[in-house]
Amino acid sequence: MHEPLKAAVIHNGIEGLDGLYPDSAFMVYNRISVAYPVQLDISQYDVLIVPNGSDHVFMECIKDTVEAFLAAGGVLCCFDGWFTPWVPGNRWVMDNSRRTIDVRYKVVSDPYGFMKGIDIDGLNFSNGISGWWACGYIQPAAEAIVVLEDTWHRPLLIVDEHSTNGTMILSASAPLSDSTYATTDDDASMQAVAGIYRNIVEFMHAKKYAYEKS
Amino acid sequence: MKNPEIALVFNGVWSHYSFAMSPKYSSFYQLVYVHDLPATDLSAFKSVVIPFQSNHAVLGSCRKQLYDFLAGGGKLFVEGDSSATWLDAVWEDRPVNNYWWVTHPDQPPVTATDFTHPVYQGLMPRHACWHTHGAYTRVPDHARILQRNSAGEIITWETDAYGGTLLATTLDPIVEHGVQQITHLDHYVDRLTAWLCGAQPEGAFAIDEADYGRSWN
Repeated sequence: MHEPLKAAVIHNGIEGLDGLYPDSAFMVYNRISVAYPVQLDISQYDVLIVPNGSDHVFMECIKDTVEAFLAAGGVLCCFDGWFTPWVPGNRWVMDNSRRTIDVRYKVVSDPYGFMKGIDIDGLNFSNGISGWWACGYIQPAAEAIVVLEDTWHRPLLIVDEHSTNGTMILSASAPLSDSTYATTDDDASMQAVAGIYRNIVEFMHAKKYAYEKS
Repeated sequence: MKNPEIALVFNGVWSHYSFAMSPKYSSFYQLVYVHDLPATDLSAFKSVVIPFQSNHAVLGSCRKQLYDFLAGGGKLFVEGDSSATWLDAVWEDRPVNNYWWVTHPDQPPVTATDFTHPVYQGLMPRHACWHTHGAYTRVPDHARILQRNSAGEIITWETDAYGGTLLATTLDPIVEHGVQQITHLDHYVDRLTAWLCGAQPEGAFAIDEADYGRSWN
């Protein structure tokens, strides 16, 4: 087994973030607190995680740092709605023209196995309401892979390996972590959300060591 | 056009942004980035709102500023979680039940509401509670209790003891309205807005796509 990846988790002090990213054999985490003046060095990390509920004013302030991180081959995971323009090549847009009750998640393309072993109904339903909480949609870069879309074919989970030298894994504010955000106590939903995240972690881990080997 | 009279303390979270940018509310609420709060003159505002998903560590360092605002007669509304570093109360987390209206529609998370309070006047019980984020296990001695859950725990309380009015609740109307996945929140938020600034918003919550992908600075 290779060494675990090192991940930085952006933390803006919101309740509930601690405990969502427990260390595993694949990844160990450090919290990066939002603070000014910005003195940030993320070059030693493999992965930068921007969790649900993050500070996108701060992320815009460190846009150049993120771009340098990606240029060096890093992996960016943003599981939030980035309303400021800090994610290279991809845009998130909020939208309330569709009803949440009508949302059904659909796999479009899954070359890296993010949805392996996942019961998609765990995303669609939880205790009779939605089992996941994607909001709005992504306007992806032209060469990005759309993994999941909604009822109206709008991208919700994408992988972009072309806009930068690194990898971007982006959700339309759909929370992904080793746990869930207490929006559900339905076991099927918790398993689905955590399962996708673990599949993503395994993909990132395998990709890094395949790259180093090559 | 009049400047917004309500300061919405902004933790860079998208739901805070989408709420305050909606044309329905943008003339009422001014986003004040939490890290800019110490340098902000709050006397320009009638009210200050601290939404769920705030940075209470930073707010703790602004304690004097917030109580000075109250002492000047302002209204302060705090939703969701809070911190004893700046609030004389103890908030504790609880599991969130956001599906009661499907499985047990006769068992809402809030079982007692003071509908004589201006924010709650005229609201239907369902409009007065969608779900809660925790409960208060201690509030100031002088506080009036406005809402309790079925266990008798405090959900919403208010006090005038600091000069102005401090209203705290573990409901999350601002964040949830920004998220736009609960369709009936206009009722609560419009009453709240009227209480905060004296004028009631009208119309539907709209989103301008041009606001997304725009630089903050």
